[in-house]
Amino acid sequence: MPIKTSDHPFLTRLAESEADPFMQAAVAKAQDAQWDKRTAARQDLGNWAQWRELAEQIRQHVVRYLPDYLEEFADNVEARGGHVFFAKTDDEAANYIKQIAIDKGAQHVVKSKSMVTTEIDLDKKLLEIPGMSVLESDLAEFILEEDDFDEPTHIVFPTLHKNRDQIRTIFHDKLGYDGDNDPQHLARFARKYLRASFLQADLGVTGCNFAIADSGLINLVTNEGNADLVMAIPKTQVVVMGMERLVPSLKEAEVLDQMLSRSAVGQKLTSYATFAGRQVDGESDGPEDFYVVIVDNGRSNALGGDFEAVLQCIRCGACLNVCPVYRHIGGHGYGSIYPGPIGAVLSPVLRGYQEFGDLPFASSLCGACSETCPVKIPLHKLLIKHREVMENQLHMDHSFNNVLMKGIGVATGTPAMFRMAMGVDHTMFGPLSKKAPISTENFINNGGFVKNAPSLAKGWTDVRDLPRPPKHTENFRAWFKKHQSENKHA
Amino acid sequence: MTEREAFLDSLATAAKRPRHQLQDHPFKPLNDLPDTTLADLSADDLFALAEKSSEAVHVDFQTTTKAALPQALDAFLAAKAAKTPMLPTSTAFADFGLTTWRDQLTPQPSFWVPNAGREANIDTASHADAAIGFADYLLAESGTITVATTPGQGRAFHFLPTHYLAVIKKSHILSRSRQAMYRYEKAFADGSLKTSNINFITGPSNSGDIEMVLIVGVHGPLDMTYLVVEDM
Repeated sequence: MPIKTSDHPFLTRLAESEADPFMQAAVAKAQDAQWDKRTAARQDLGNWAQWRELAEQIRQHVVRYLPDYLEEFADNVEARGGHVFFAKTDDEAANYIKQIAIDKGAQHVVKSKSMVTTEIDLDKKLLEIPGMSVLESDLAEFILEEDDFDEPTHIVFPTLHKNRDQIRTIFHDKLGYDGDNDPQHLARFARKYLRASFLQADLGVTGCNFAIADSGLINLVTNEGNADLVMAIPKTQVVVMGMERLVPSLKEAEVLDQMLSRSAVGQKLTSYATFAGRQVDGESDGPEDFYVVIVDNGRSNALGGDFEAVLQCIRCGACLNVCPVYRHIGGHGYGSIYPGPIGAVLSPVLRGYQEFGDLPFASSLCGACSETCPVKIPLHKLLIKHREVMENQLHMDHSFNNVLMKGIGVATGTPAMFRMAMGVDHTMFGPLSKKAPISTENFINNGGFVKNAPSLAKGWTDVRDLPRPPKHTENFRAWFKKHQSENKHA
Repeated sequence: MTEREAFLDSLATAAKRPRHQLQDHPFKPLNDLPDTTLADLSADDLFALAEKSSEAVHVDFQTTTKAALPQALDAFLAAKAAKTPMLPTSTAFADFGLTTWRDQLTPQPSFWVPNAGREANIDTASHADAAIGFADYLLAESGTITVATTPGQGRAFHFLPTHYLAVIKKSHILSRSRQAMYRYEKAFADGSLKTSNINFITGPSNSGDIEMVLIVGVHGPLDMTYLVVEDM
């Protein structure tokens, strides 16, 4: 599965997401649960603002000196007897790994969760080899794989959109599971099935949370332990990493592991944080042959430009977990393997506006994503920048928007015009408004709600009612004036 | 020009920044939080925090003395009804006064043997229903044990057995992961540590992938016990 996950138009994807109440409920539940855990984990650490500054500094420094850090890392991997391949494109990366599998005569590949391997469509490439089996060992990725390579919906919780009954059905139909839908029982079944596969694996493929420049080790952060088995059992390991995922030393990796764990899953550290490389003399497990594939695949489009900050990302998914748009449309609504605010910024950088030009508009610009980001990526500002750059790059006609915004600017900046508008807006909205009693959904009631607005406002009323403005004698300015007057005479 | 050089040059060109500047601009952290956080805790404070943090991540946290260590390990194996226990090959047995216990243990344990080869060691570990290993450090803040892979205690030793116990000296309880990193970096630098792998393990494996329900014991051990030796 490459970066783009759907050929459906953006509005069709939104309609599909809206028609999936289980997904919406699951995302809301996950967001709320993660809010509590994340907040507690950050408060427990203390000095969160200063930790964010440190994490931002580490990531910015690495991106600034990226070629130097890549060179240092590659030298150290090779000094440990490993191999490094630099891939400009997804095809180069996938073909190189396929050739390794062929050269090694591999028939059983076992993988741990990696967004980059999804990005380069590695599974499909490996399955071109006759007799090859490829097994995703992360429980969520395993479920998606068995469900005919269904799309992930979240970068940390890929199966958020599936319930236990659906998973039971997948295991029953594909693997012969005949137990109940208890998550513990389903996981035990998967453990047994996957353990047998691990033991016959001859090639392991992992991602990389952080690559340690001064030691040539890679750092993986997981909760299940599958990545450690992928790095222990097969004789050959291939690490696939986005080219920006470096840190200077173990010390900075330790800082970012903490930030990642607390931000992604609300834990102080995940169950497993591992720093690993090629087997050394005397050890009997771990990879005898160790390959690192460093992938550009569009990331260099961000270097030195307006979107460089997106390369600071540590893939914690916290921005997804606070996003009101993600809450409603889920991961599939974005049509990219990178959903949510980070995906809306990153996907157009990697693949351009022709493929992902809708995504910068999949945002309310509330700024919650920027606020929660542990490495301080100004996500909502980058989304606005995307809109600006895209309009210029695609030579889009923005003359109407320019006139409209200029008009609004003049009207709101001229007291007489603003007062005039406040004086007539209630009356003007009258013909469009429908009377309705106050409800929890429509709490503000000034004499009705607009349910089907025309033109530009239609996008708003498609998903929520627009309250009729108050009478000019009852609006905030009138109330404030009266309040001031009463205070003066009190 | 090599493929690597071409790649790195293209990045420098895209960034509009020259290469080979890092030597003059090394990373200097803007604050010392990783060093100062929890730095003022006494040994007893660290122990109390380690216990609390470990239990929060579903670890069975136990303590013993060097003299009572054999009985504590026997009790663990009995509690797990271990029939195929596995031990590392390590000088730590002598250090902890466990040589006799090891040699007389019933049921007879299997070992991770340095020269036995990949298949034999992995096969043994995959059939072990309990493993007893030696941890380098215990991190109080997170309830994390750290272990560097050695020829006698391989990577899969910590993942394949069904139940797992780590023996740790109380004096090896550190405040946070930063303090462990300093020790590993020093050991790498002075040559006293030659390893391909360092594991930071925080409780048993778990997953929330099915409806966000916490499942403990997915790929790694189903449960985890830390046994802290208070007088070491």
